[in-house]
Order: sequence, then C-alpha cells, then structure tokens
Amino acid sequence: MQPFEFIVSIFENFLDPKKRVFIGYLFAALIIAFFWLIFYKKFTLNHAIRKLFDQKVFLSKSSKADFSVFFINRIFTLFVSPLLLTQLVVATSIFNLLLLVDWADWSFGLVLSKPTIVAAFTFAVFMLDDFTKYIVHRWMHRWPALWALHKVHHSAEHLTPITIYRTHPLEGIVFSLRSAVSQGLVIAIFFYFFGNSVDLLTVIGVNILVFSFNVAGSNLRHSHIGIQYWGWLEYVLISPAQHQLHHSIAEEHYDKNFGATLALWDWLFGSLHHSVDTDILVLGIKDKDVSDHQSLYGLYIVPLIQFGAGIMKMVNGVKNKMFIAVKYTGNWRKFP
Amino acid sequence: MSNLKHKYAAIGAAASLLGALGAPTVAFADGHALSTYGPFPVTLQDYTGSKKNSVSYTGQIARHVLHDSLKKLAGNGDGGANAASLEAEMMAYYGGSDKNKTIIAPADKGNFNIKQGTVNEISSGKNLSGKTYKGLIAGWPGQMTGPEVLTSMIKRAAKTSGGFDVNTGYNYPQLISKFAMGAVFYNQAVDNYLDEKLAADNKPNGKPYKDGAHYTGKEHVWDEAFGYWGAAAHSLNLSAKDNYDVAKMKNVTAADANGDGMIDLKSEMVFAHAYYASSFDKGGKTDYLSTITQAFVDGRSLITSAGGENLSDAERAELVGYASVIGSNWEKVIAESVFKYAGSVYKDIDKLKEQMASNSDTSKTFATYCKHWGELKGFAMAIQSGKSNLGETAVKMNRLIGFGPILMNASQVSGVDSMGNFMKDEAISWDEYQMHMLKVQKLMVDAFGIDARSNDQIAKMADLADKLGDSNSAEND
Repeated sequence: MQPFEFIVSIFENFLDPKKRVFIGYLFAALIIAFFWLIFYKKFTLNHAIRKLFDQKVFLSKSSKADFSVFFINRIFTLFVSPLLLTQLVVATSIFNLLLLVDWADWSFGLVLSKPTIVAAFTFAVFMLDDFTKYIVHRWMHRWPALWALHKVHHSAEHLTPITIYRTHPLEGIVFSLRSAVSQGLVIAIFFYFFGNSVDLLTVIGVNILVFSFNVAGSNLRHSHIGIQYWGWLEYVLISPAQHQLHHSIAEEHYDKNFGATLALWDWLFGSLHHSVDTDILVLGIKDKDVSDHQSLYGLYIVPLIQFGAGIMKMVNGVKNKMFIAVKYTGNWRKFP
Repeated sequence: MSNLKHKYAAIGAAASLLGALGAPTVAFADGHALSTYGPFPVTLQDYTGSKKNSVSYTGQIARHVLHDSLKKLAGNGDGGANAASLEAEMMAYYGGSDKNKTIIAPADKGNFNIKQGTVNEISSGKNLSGKTYKGLIAGWPGQMTGPEVLTSMIKRAAKTSGGFDVNTGYNYPQLISKFAMGAVFYNQAVDNYLDEKLAADNKPNGKPYKDGAHYTGKEHVWDEAFGYWGAAAHSLNLSAKDNYDVAKMKNVTAADANGDGMIDLKSEMVFAHAYYASSFDKGGKTDYLSTITQAFVDGRSLITSAGGENLSDAERAELVGYASVIGSNWEKVIAESVFKYAGSVYKDIDKLKEQMASNSDTSKTFATYCKHWGELKGFAMAIQSGKSNLGETAVKMNRLIGFGPILMNASQVSGVDSMGNFMKDEAISWDEYQMHMLKVQKLMVDAFGIDARSNDQIAKMADLADKLGDSNSAEND
C-alpha cells in the first residue's frame, strides 16, 4: 500500500455508512445534542455551542491518546485484518455442516413471503449481533485476562466518538471473531432454510436497524453529552447517559450496562442501571498498576503483560487442580 | 521437453521452407510452445507415399457432426404424426447410414459459411452407436447400457412435440446431446485412446496404425482422442471468448484460420466439451481449454519427435502424463457443467415457486426448468461414462438428481415398469429438491475441485456477507 492510500484508508471510516463514525451519523449526533441542550437543558445558544465543542474534552490528554490509538490501530488493522476469520468462512462452514443433515420430509420457503424472510433476517442479524456484543462485553469485564485488554478502553477519562477506537488490538481480534461467528451463523441458517429469498433490508447500504441506531445518535454514547431517556425506554434501549455510567469509576456502577444498542439484555441478566446526571460522574479506571493510562506504553504494552499474567493465572489454576487430583488418586477420602 | 521443442522446431522450420505443407505452417505461440494441432510431418518409416501431414481425425469430426445433427432432429417431433419417420431419420445419424446424409448442424449462419454440406465430405461410414459406452448407465431408469439408453431416448423423442415430454419433464434434445457427448466422445477419448491404446504393444509407434495408413499407431491414437475433444486446430491461438464465439458461429474471423472464407469443420470448428471449456474459461477463473489443448499438442509433438520409432518407456511415461492432464481437466469441465445446471435448476425452482404463489402461468418457466434439468442429468450421466469409477460420488449424484425433474403435480419419474413405461411416484418437496441441487454443487466442488462454478448458489452468501460489511476494525461499542 502506498503512503497516500494509507492516509486515505484512515479516513475511509468517516465516509463509510457501515461505520459508527460516518460523517452523517456524527452530524446527526451533533444536531440531537444541540436540541437536547437548548430545549431540555435550557442552555443559551452560545453556551450550547461552547458545550458541544468543549475544548476541555476534545483537547484533553485522554482524547489525544484516543487519536493516537486510532491512527496506530489503523496500521495494525492493515496487517491483521486479512488474517482474520470472516463471516463468510463461518457461514460457509456452518452451511456445509447443515447440508450433511438429512431431513426426511420438510418444507420451507412457500410458507413465508419474501418480505417476511428479509425482515426476519435483518432483525435476526441485528439481534444476535447485539446479544453477542453484550455477552462478550460482559466477559471483557469478568475475566481478568480480558479485562487487562478492555481496560484500555475504560482508561479514557473523557469520552468522544473516537473513543470507540480506543481499543487494544488484541481485543479488536476478539471483537472481529465475535462478529464473524454471529453473522456467519445467521447467514448460514437463513440461507439453509430460505435460500435465495434471504436478503438484508438496507438504507444507504446499511442494515436498516443499524442505520436507525446510528442516526438516532449512537455517537453520543461516547461523548460528554449525557442524554437520558425516559425510565421505561431505558429498559429497552441504552441511553447515552446509561453508557457513560458504564464508564464511571464509582463502585456502584461497576459491571452495569454492558449493552451496545439494547438495554434488554442488561435488564434480562440483571446488569441494568438507569441513567444518572452524568455531570457528577468521574470517568476512567482506578488502577494502581498503571501510573499513566494515556501513554502508549500504558495503552499497548501494560495490557499485554497483564493479559499474559491473567492467562498464566488461569493455567496455574487448572494445573493446581490437576495436581491435587493426581496427588489424591487412590486416596480419595482425603481429597480436600 | 525444450530439447524436443527445438528438435521439432527444426522439423517445422524445414517444412515451412519447403513450402510443402500449404498455408497453415507450424506456429509457435510465443517462441516456446506449439500453438496449433498440426500439421505434423509423416514420420512412418519406409513410407513411400506423397502425404506430408500425418494428422487425421476426420472420423471424430464426422461424429461431432452426427451428434449436432441428431440433437437438432431430436427437437423436430410434431406430437406423434411424424414419429416413425423422425425416429428412422434420427437413427440414421445415431446408428449410421449407407446414404450420404446432410449435415443438419452446424449449418451456415450469416457469413459463417460451412465448407462441408454432407457427412461423407468429412468421413464416410461413421456412426455414434458403435462408439457408445457399453457399461451400465446407473443414472437412468431401466438398467440399460449406453447404446440402449440413447436408442430408447431417440424412440421417445420422436413421439414428443418439439422434443419435450411434459408428462415426464424430459427434454430429449438436451438429454441425448449431453449424455452422448460423455458416452461417446469423453468415453472414447479417456477410456480408450488415452488409456489402453497408450500401452506399448497396443498400436505401437513403429508400425502404421493399420495397413496402408500413412500415420503411425500412436500418432493416430492421439489424433483420435484430440478429435473427440472438439477443439479447433488453432484453438490455442484464440482467447476463450473467441473459441466460444466460434462454437456459437458468431466470429467468422476467429474461426477461419486459413482465411479462405469457409469454415472447415475438419479443423476450424469448436465442438462439444471444448466449447463448454471455453464457456467456463471466458469467466477468467479457469483455463481448461488451453490446458487440455496444449497437452494434446505437446503429446503429439512428443510422438512426432520419436521419428516413427517405438516410444521408449520414458517417452510413453511422458505421454501418459499428458493423457492424465487431459483426462482430469476434461472431467472437471463436465463437473463444472453439472455444477452450473444444478444452479440453473435451483434458480428455476425459485421462479416457479414465485409464480405458483401468485397463481401466474408457469408453463414457460417449467419448460426452461426441464431444459436445464435435462442438461444437468445429461452431464451427470456423462461424467460417469469416463475412465474412473466415481464410486460414492456417482451414487450420491444420481440419488440427489433423481430419475426426473419434479413435476408441477409434485410427482417424479421413479423407474420403468415391466413394459418399459416410465412410472411416477410422489416427489420430495420443491424446497428439498433445491437443497439437493445445492448438495450437487457442493459434491462437484468436493469431488473434482472445480473453480469456475457458474451459477454458484452458495455465492449468494458472499453477497450477504458483503452487505453486512467487514468487522475487522477494532471498535468498542
């Protein structure tokens, strides 16, 4: 790749409607935030504009680190992405497995009309994607080895739309696998049952549900604009303020609101927390091991060391259990 | 090999200088490989005649013409009135005739002027029946040999209207043509000429092919196999698209190698599987036509370089190597065809289902579906007429495709009764049959490793994956 092409590729994300930071979505978020400040928060015009483009946020040490990670990760992506499992490989493999199944007599296709199939596929892809995001996100917080990686994202002390790229490259690989498996699974199953009738309902080439979520201000999740929804809606959809609360260092906010788009999963699995006024929240992490979360060493190397330590701890745990099991073989009454 | 080429280059150059070989002199595509199949000099020792070119495969071209004409005739039924005469006429092309029969196809089309008008102008006394694979044809109901299957299809085709039997869904022109290409051309080439006839003591190179012939045993064995393949002598000089257009009679410039304004069927036309190879190759993913044709040319120059002596073990081993390249790629061409038409049948059923759901007229789509099914079935039977026993692959393929297409009343041919009439039984669902087509496609990929994959129904998954977009940038939702 030529240097010029590389520079272009960096900015591609802003022009691709499949990406969260697509310029159109950023603009939509800006408009929503503006109206919220004016009409709900009763800010003056001047005050609202100063708040939207708050230099304390965008020029903070934390945000500058976001930008560095964004650029550095683009280079990683360039080299790593061709090696990653794609949803097509997953889909084809699952599909081929399904072909091995012999059904005596069955029927599909004529039962559902094409619009129904397309709607069902679009919905299923979205739901499974969102659900697996919830699960993986939960694991990221619960397993020490994964938390070592995910901490990079949580070390942001100010949130901006670019903070979504504040992600350790290893974590990026985990996310990419999740996406490949969940989308591949839905593609294979739908294709198996409905064949050529399967299609995705799109707006400007994007899943209509993803598009709606993004136009509805998804970028505000990672921002300093704490928009809160009505209480009942926060059971279903995660509000920007609910996600900002997820980034809070207060202990009562730990392991809450893992959801990406839907709050439903948090509600179902007991991790839901309604939003609070985000101005009182302190964001980031309390971690005595890392003196400076905003340096490249802190962002790239420390997580790797801690990830390794986490893995070793797991290995040792298994080893110890096996050791005990072997030691007490034949003398099981003394097994502790 | 390069030594050989140089050796042959010298012969070729000398021949050109003498001007004895006429217009199409020996050509080299890029200074390395020979690019035309012939002319090749006479190498037969002690030959005293005046012939300068030892290449001869007119008998095979005559059979291509018999096949093309037979296919055309198979669609001429008028519903029963002309059944007897049509059957007799078809049998004259299939089983041979004392009369000098007209070439029904390929015939002149626009400025595509065919040089020969009758079969005997190419070669006389030829038939298809004597060269049809005589093993059991497992894919067709009735436990018959190849000739029995073709004869029974001809009899039934004669009674139909336009070759199509609505009651069974059989499209006879397609079934007869696609099966005959395998049972005659493919079988004769890979299972006879490129197989036992390459043995040292079978048609040795040190003797004439038969008494009085001006070509050696191995020269003619190789030529006959090439003739069945169906490429034009100059196919290697043409792109896949050009070869395709020659077969379709759309590019007279590409076809007319010697520029005499006439297309000589004996050397300038593309027939049968060579045509199908070009149809896949023009997609750019494969090069079956050039791979196979080049192997034929290389094998033939190897034989020529032996100078009329018996081939050494090493030379024969090299020749068997070329034969193996030809055989495996030829098999792939037929597997690609099975793959393609399984995809067509799949798509046709989609259309039929839509029309049934909206109560629209399905008759036209049904006919197209049956035509594609006939091609699928014909190619599937053809691929089983080769040299290798396909074992489980054949069993699976036959079972997945079945004895007949699923008909609009949800029945399907299931066998023949004691009178030889087709019996029908309740069929599986349309959806399940579509799944069978996908399995056939997968089977072709797994068993033969094909690459062109026209009408790949699984490729739709790739489109869906594209629509969903990649997921490889590190983003934290």
